[in-house]
Amino acid sequence: MRVTTTRAARRRGVALVGLTTAGALALAACSGDSGAMPSGDDGGDGGNVEIRFAWWGSDDRHQTTQQIIDLFEEKNPGITVVPDYTDWDGYWDKLATATAGGDTPDVITQEERFLSDYASRGVIGDMSGVDTSEIPEDVLSTGEIDGTLVGIPTGVNAYALVADPQIFADAGVEMPDDTTWTWDEYVDVAGKVARGAGDGVWGAQDYGFNEAGLNVLARQKGESLYTADGTLGVSKETVAEFFQTSLDLMANGGQPDASRSVEYQNAGPEGSLLGTNAGAMGVWWSNQLGALSDASGHDLELLRLPGESQFERTGMYFKPAMYYSISARTEHPEESAKFVDFLLNDPEVAALQLTDRGLPANQSVREAILPELTAADQKVADFMAELEPEIVDNPVVPPNGANEIQDIMIRINTEVLFERMTPADAADAFLKDVGAAIGG
Amino acid sequence: MAMIREVARTRGAARERRQGDGRAAALFLAPWFVGLVLVTAFPLVASLYLSFTDYSLLEAPHWIGLENYTAMFADPRFFQALKVTFTYVLVSVPLQLVAALALALVLDKGLRGLAFYRSVYYLPSLLGGSVAIAILWRQVFGADGLVNQVLAFFGVEGVGWVSHPDYALGTLMVLNVWTFGAPMIIFLAGLRQIPAMYYEAASIDGAGRWRRFRSITVPLLTPIIFFNLVLQLIGAFQSFTQAFIVSGGTGGPVDSTLFYTLYLYEKGFSSYQMGYASAMAWFLLLVVAGMTAVNFLASKFWVFYDD
Amino acid sequence: MTDAPARTAPRPSAPARPTLSEVAATYPERRPRRGRTRAAVRRVLRHVALIGFGLVMLYPLLWMLASSFKPTELIFREPGLVPTEWDLGNYTAGWNALLDPFSHYLLNSGIVVLGSVLGNLVSCSMAAYAFARLKFRGRNLWFAVMLMSIMLPIHVIIVPQYILFSSLSWINTFLPLIVPKLLATDAFFVFLMVQFFRGIPKELDEAARLDGCGHGRIYLRIMLPLSLPALATTAIFTFIWTWNDFFSQLIFLTKPDMYTVPIALRTFVDATSNSSWGPLFAMSIVSLIPVFLVFLFGQKYLVKGIATTGIK
Repeated sequence: MRVTTTRAARRRGVALVGLTTAGALALAACSGDSGAMPSGDDGGDGGNVEIRFAWWGSDDRHQTTQQIIDLFEEKNPGITVVPDYTDWDGYWDKLATATAGGDTPDVITQEERFLSDYASRGVIGDMSGVDTSEIPEDVLSTGEIDGTLVGIPTGVNAYALVADPQIFADAGVEMPDDTTWTWDEYVDVAGKVARGAGDGVWGAQDYGFNEAGLNVLARQKGESLYTADGTLGVSKETVAEFFQTSLDLMANGGQPDASRSVEYQNAGPEGSLLGTNAGAMGVWWSNQLGALSDASGHDLELLRLPGESQFERTGMYFKPAMYYSISARTEHPEESAKFVDFLLNDPEVAALQLTDRGLPANQSVREAILPELTAADQKVADFMAELEPEIVDNPVVPPNGANEIQDIMIRINTEVLFERMTPADAADAFLKDVGAAIGG
Repeated sequence: MAMIREVARTRGAARERRQGDGRAAALFLAPWFVGLVLVTAFPLVASLYLSFTDYSLLEAPHWIGLENYTAMFADPRFFQALKVTFTYVLVSVPLQLVAALALALVLDKGLRGLAFYRSVYYLPSLLGGSVAIAILWRQVFGADGLVNQVLAFFGVEGVGWVSHPDYALGTLMVLNVWTFGAPMIIFLAGLRQIPAMYYEAASIDGAGRWRRFRSITVPLLTPIIFFNLVLQLIGAFQSFTQAFIVSGGTGGPVDSTLFYTLYLYEKGFSSYQMGYASAMAWFLLLVVAGMTAVNFLASKFWVFYDD
Repeated sequence: MTDAPARTAPRPSAPARPTLSEVAATYPERRPRRGRTRAAVRRVLRHVALIGFGLVMLYPLLWMLASSFKPTELIFREPGLVPTEWDLGNYTAGWNALLDPFSHYLLNSGIVVLGSVLGNLVSCSMAAYAFARLKFRGRNLWFAVMLMSIMLPIHVIIVPQYILFSSLSWINTFLPLIVPKLLATDAFFVFLMVQFFRGIPKELDEAARLDGCGHGRIYLRIMLPLSLPALATTAIFTFIWTWNDFFSQLIFLTKPDMYTVPIALRTFVDATSNSSWGPLFAMSIVSLIPVFLVFLFGQKYLVKGIATTGIK
C-alpha cells in the first residue's frame, strides 16, 4: 500500500488539529461575560459598587425581581445589583458550593429550615443596619437567633386548609364551619364528600408529608415541634395522632389510596387533588392559593385548620415566606443593607411584587397594595387579617438540620400510608430520626 | 532530490521504531496528562482528603480520621442505598444492552427508512435527564397512567407503579432500558465496522444467517460489547438524574429508589456532611474499580481483538 | 472461520478481476416466486412492528408535545393525548419568559457544546491512539488511572473543582466547561476510540511504516479516516450529553445571561411558587430540535464503515 503525503499535506494536517484546538479555546474564552467577577471585586470605574443578590423561584418571579433590581439601580446610581437566580432545588447546592469556594452572594434569600445552619456557621451576619420599624415584632422575631437578627422575613404565609366549594356543592355536602370544627369532623366531612361525589373525587389530599401540619397540631395541644434550645418539643402521642388521621381518612374513603397520595404529593399545586378537580380539600401555604385557583378553575376558599377551637389554644401561625440575609463576609455591607431596606420597605417594590414572596411583612406597604391584589390574593389578605388576633405566638427558628425534617416526614408518612408502619412505630421513628438530624 | 528526501524520511521512521514509542506517546498523551493532573487529580485527591474530615461546605473542614467510614458501615440507609443500586445495576444493564443490540441488529440491515427509525429509537435517550421526565413517567406509570389504562382494557387492575415502594424501582429500570439509544448507536457503529467482505465470503461458503451471526458478527463485535458493558455498568452505578427527578429528590417512596449517588448527594448538600459524602464516593470508586478490573480480567476469555 | 480475503489492491485496470459480489450474483436465483411474496409480507410485518414499538417508545414524548399545545391549567385536568384547546401561547410565553429570549440560552448552550465537541474529538483521539497503538512504560497502569477518573460521582469532585476554577477566576465563564474537554478528561470517549482503533488491522500501520510514515501520519491518514463511526459517535454523544448536562453548568455559571438550556428549563418549574408546565414543555420541545437534527444528519457518518471508506 502506498500512503504518500506531501509536506504540504502534512502541514495541512497539523494546521487542522491546531486550528480546531484554537477554535475551541477561543470559543471558551471570548464568550466569557464582560462583567466583573463576582468574588467581591470592586468594578473599577468611578466607585461603582457591585453586589450580588441570590434568590430562587420560577420565571414569573425572576422577571418581577429583575424589574425591581432595575428600579433600585435607577434610584441608586453607583450600585449595580448582579442577579443570581435558580430554581428551588438547585439553589441550595449552588449556594453551599459558592460559599465553600468563598463566593457567597452579598444578599441572600433564606428559608427558615436553612437559616440556622447558615447563621450558626457564620455565613450570614447581623442585619441591624436595616430599617425594620414597620415590621411587627413577633414577625421579626422569627428571624432572630440568640437575640441577633440574621434574617428579615419578606412576608408571611399561613398553613391553612384550601377548600373547593364547587365540589362540596356537587357532592351535596355543606361547607364546614372552620371556627368550630374538630379533627374528627374533618375526617367525617371528607368521607361524606367522597361518597357524595362519586368515583374519582375525594374529600381531601393527604396532609402528612409536611411537618407544618404536625407543628399546628402540636401547638394546639400546648406543645411545639421545636423548642427554643433546639430540641424536639412534641410528644409521641401527638405524632401518632397526627398519622392516625391519615389512616382514618383512607379507611372511610375520604382520601385516595397510598400510591395516589404519593403521586399527588409529587405533582405540586397544578397536579394536586384540588388543582385537577379531583378533591374538595387540601392543606397548603396561603400563598399557593393563586396557583391552586388557576389550576382548578374554581373559586377556592381558605379555611382554618381543624381543631383550632378544639383544645386549649389555637395552633396556626404566621410563617415567614422567606428571609433576606446579608453575607457575613460581604465587602459592601452598607450597599447590601441599603438594598435589603429597599426590598422590604419601598412601596414601589411591593406594587410590583404583590404577594409573590408572601403577604408583605411591612404593615404600611401591605395596606398600600391591598387594592391591587388579584381576587385570590385578596382572599389571602383577608384571611390573614382575620387570623391575626387568634394567633397566640409564632414558632422559634428551626434548629440546625431542620431541612432534613421534610425528607424524614415524607419517608415516614409514606410508610404509614402503605401500612408498613403503625402510627405508634412511626412516631418513635420520627422522634428518633429527627432527634438525630437536629442533634448532630 | 526526491529520492534523498525519501531516504531521509525512512531513516527517521526507523529511528523512531528503535527508540520505542516513548516520545510519540508523550506527545499524543500531553493534553490528556495535563487534564489528568489539573482537572482530575486535584479533585480526586481533595475528595480523598475530605473523606477523613467533617466538612459542612459552609465552614472549613476539620480532621476526624476514620469516623465517616465507621459511621457509614453502621448506617442502615447506606446499606439500603447499596441494595437498591446493586439491584438496579444487575437487572437493568443487561436488559438495556440486550435491547440495544437487538435493535441495532434489526436496524443495521438494508431497511427502508433506516435513518428515521434510528432517530425515533434514539429520541427517548434525549429526554432521559429532562426535568419533564418526572411528569412523563407519572403519566405512563402512575395510578391513572397509560399502563394501567391498558391493563384495565384487559381487565387487570394495576397499582400505582411509580409511587409504590415495591415497584418504583422497577419503573426506573424501565426508564434505563427505555433510554437504550446510546449503546444502540455504538453497536450500530461497531456493526458497520465489520467488513462486508467477511459476510460475503461466508455466504459463498454456504453459511446461513445464524451461522454468520455466530461466527462473524458476535466475535468481531465483542470489543464493542465489552465497551458497552463496562461503561454502562460504571454509569449505572452512578445513576442519579432519573432517580432524583422521578422521586422528587427523596429516593422515595420510602427509600425504594435511594440510589447510591442520590444518598451521597443528600448527605453532601442537604445534610451538610460533605466529608461523609466523600467517604461514600471513595467506597463507590473501590467497588466500581474492582468490578471493572474483574471485567477486564474476564475479557481475556471472550473478547476478540485483531491485534 | 474463513481466511480473511486478500487485501492486495486491485490493479488499476478494473475489468480483469470480478469482485466477490459479482461472482455471487452469477449464481442462479434460488428463491421461488412464492418465497418472494413471503419475504414481502415479512418486510411489511417488520415495518409494522418497528413503527408500533416506536410509538410505544415515543408515547411520553408525544404526550409532552401534545401538552405543550395546551394551556397550563388544562395539562393535568385533561391529560389526554389530543388537546381540546390548541394554544400556541406556551411557545411565545416560554420564549420570552426569562430575562433574555430563549434563543440566548440556545446560543450559550451551542457555544459550550461546540467547544466540547471539538475538544473531545482532538484530545480523546490523540490519547486513544497512544493507548491503542503505542508501546510505552506503564501503559496499562495509566489506562487504569484514566478509567478510574470516571468512577467518582460529580457531586464530590464538583466542590474541589469549583475551588480550583474559582482561584483561576474562571467561574461564570464557559472555561470550566470546555477546557476539560480539550484535555481528554472524558475517559468514556478515549476508551471508545481505543476499542475502535484496536479493531483496525495492524497490517495497515505496518504497510504505512514501510512507506516511511511516522506516528503522526499514521494517526492522521489511517486511524482517523477509518474511525469515522467512532469520531461521529464521539461528536454526537458529546453534543447530546453536554447539551443536557445540568449540574456542572448550574454550579459554574452564576450570572443568568450565561445560563445554558438545562438551567433555563429548570427555572420554569419551582416547587414553592407556581410552575409553568406549559412553557416548560414547549421549550423542552424546542431544545430537543437541534439535538435531533444533529443526530439525524450525523447518522450519515455513523454509517460509513470500513466497507465503504475502503481499504485501497
